[in-house]
Amino acid sequence: MISLPLLPVYLVDSLGAALMIVLAFSAFVHARRLKRLEPANFLWTFFFWLTLTLSALAISRSFWHLVRYLFVLAGHEEIWQAVRPYSGGINSLAFVAAAVVTFYYHNTEQVVASGRREAEALRQANDELAEAHEALHQLNQTLEERVERRTRALRLSEEKFRSLFEASKDLILFCDQEGRIADINDSGLELLGNGRREEVVGRPFADFFLDPEKGANFKAEILRHGHVKEFESRIRGADDSCRYLLLTAAAIRSEAEGYQGCQIIAIDLSHFKQMTDQLIRSEKMTSIGQLAAGVAHEINTPLGIILGYTQLLAEDFEENPEVKETLATIEKHTKICRRIVADLLKFSHPAAEQRMRPGDINRCLEEVLAIVEHTLNMDHIFIHRCLAEGMPPVSFDPERLRQVFVNLVTNAHHAIGSEGIVGVWSRHHPERREVEIVIGDSGSGIPAETVSRIFDPFFTTKEVGKGTGLGLSVSFGIVNDHNGRIEAHSPPLDQELAAVGMRTAFHVWLPVAAETAGE
Amino acid sequence: MRLFRHHTALPRLGAALPPLVLLAGLIAPAPAWAVQVHGGAEGYLVHQMAHLFLAAALIFLLSLLHRRPPGTGRPWRHLKFSLLLFLLWNLDTMTVHWLASRLPESAILPGATPAGDRILLPADWPWLLYYAGSLDHLLCVPAAWFLLLSLKGLATTVSHRPPAPPPPRTSA
Repeated sequence: MISLPLLPVYLVDSLGAALMIVLAFSAFVHARRLKRLEPANFLWTFFFWLTLTLSALAISRSFWHLVRYLFVLAGHEEIWQAVRPYSGGINSLAFVAAAVVTFYYHNTEQVVASGRREAEALRQANDELAEAHEALHQLNQTLEERVERRTRALRLSEEKFRSLFEASKDLILFCDQEGRIADINDSGLELLGNGRREEVVGRPFADFFLDPEKGANFKAEILRHGHVKEFESRIRGADDSCRYLLLTAAAIRSEAEGYQGCQIIAIDLSHFKQMTDQLIRSEKMTSIGQLAAGVAHEINTPLGIILGYTQLLAEDFEENPEVKETLATIEKHTKICRRIVADLLKFSHPAAEQRMRPGDINRCLEEVLAIVEHTLNMDHIFIHRCLAEGMPPVSFDPERLRQVFVNLVTNAHHAIGSEGIVGVWSRHHPERREVEIVIGDSGSGIPAETVSRIFDPFFTTKEVGKGTGLGLSVSFGIVNDHNGRIEAHSPPLDQELAAVGMRTAFHVWLPVAAETAGE
Repeated sequence: MRLFRHHTALPRLGAALPPLVLLAGLIAPAPAWAVQVHGGAEGYLVHQMAHLFLAAALIFLLSLLHRRPPGTGRPWRHLKFSLLLFLLWNLDTMTVHWLASRLPESAILPGATPAGDRILLPADWPWLLYYAGSLDHLLCVPAAWFLLLSLKGLATTVSHRPPAPPPPRTSA
């Protein structure tokens, strides 16, 4: 057994208890400051309660240690003995409270941390949602702008091509898979259907070819090669007129469905073709005229000699009627030959003696009609006159031009045979400084392949012996001498002429006299 | 089907229990102990359990700070020292209480003045440990001191910390 002094214990207890109070309350003050600085921080709240329980423990223990000594020193230990259990009880409660606060801190910290995690996750989700919304908004705006831009470009492009399609003076059309016209521009409508869409749209384009075989070839070429370039063809135009078109076509194909149809662009060459034909005919006539003039000149001299000697021989054989009759036959046919030669010279060369003077062309026509009208009436052919008033004077050789008009009326008579109408029109074209004379008939018309040859010398459709084939050639030459031109159209180009029953029309254009034109 | 019967047997037993208890009370009557009396060593045991409860809480808190440290730096180290010293103090006081409960009151030899008081202990190391452990303020005062340092340091750090920015506003 050993005996130890209790004084050190008493001293440490007393001093320690006092220090514990000071330190615990100081810690409490700092914990409270922390809590005030960051009220949302749960750790500071925990320290606040921990230091509070520690302060309570410090007071309780100080009571145990300090008050105990005071009572003992004052000689009232019985009071201490009565209070002691309360102090111990408070100590126990303080321990439990501190432990509870600690465990409670953990659980609450977990709950708070979980809440914070959820809040953070929610905030992140909200941020992501906001970012996604912003991205979507921008994408939407970009898409809208892009769609608007594309739509505008598409509209401009559509307007551009629609304008090109509608304003083009060339024919543009689209055909479907079966070759039927699906769409056509106004120029095409005017060319093929007189502007009536219902007559054109829906019909097979091949139907418009005057030569069906060419129509089939055109379609086959598109299917075979995918395109056709510079395909020249005669197309049936409005009112069954013949139009020369230069066709260019391209197939429309899609990768998924193959051939969808074709697009066709056509240039109307009718006028160009007409001009070319005229030029060719003019050149041909010039060549033929030169040839005929050479031949006529060479034949004319021997014919003169034959005729002269025949007449001399006829004088020698006055008493021999048989020989005289033979010589008369020779003379007659020689004179026929000389007339033919003279006609050829008239066709090929300007008259050696021109008697051109300004005159009234209507009067010239009236003179001709007065001569032939009776003959025409015999065959029940009547003349329809439509002569314009106030026609300007035309410089012409009345005798020769009269021959032209007689030829044309005679031709009309032959074309009609009996019972019909011969129409005569005259009109003035001030803008071209020309007068136009039209002589038409209601006869059988001229086949298309013949029209281009009717002005050729010796070309005739009449029976052998009924015509020399020089009438129209001579007329062509005379009109040329007058610096004019002559054309034949069957059927007539002018719809008004066709409307009054004319099947063929000869047009003669003559220039207005120089003095008048100058005015 | 058997399972169904097993489940349906329990509610029947529960319903039959109150009448059975009432019947037993009527058959074998005895004095009723409505209020439990707490006496003897109960206060000592409650106090020791409170110490044990606090020690468990401190160990738990230390392990928590070790596993998921809420921060780094000197204040947090001071906090750990503080908790460790409080834990040691707690174990020390538990030991001293236990040894004191085995010490007779006659072991204290009063002197003429409190300064002359002495204690008579067996010359064995647990009782020497008891005497040393009675100086428990040598543990709890440093523990409170480190706690004060820790909280003071944390308060200084927090007061110098720039204010947190407001949470971002989400655009509609």
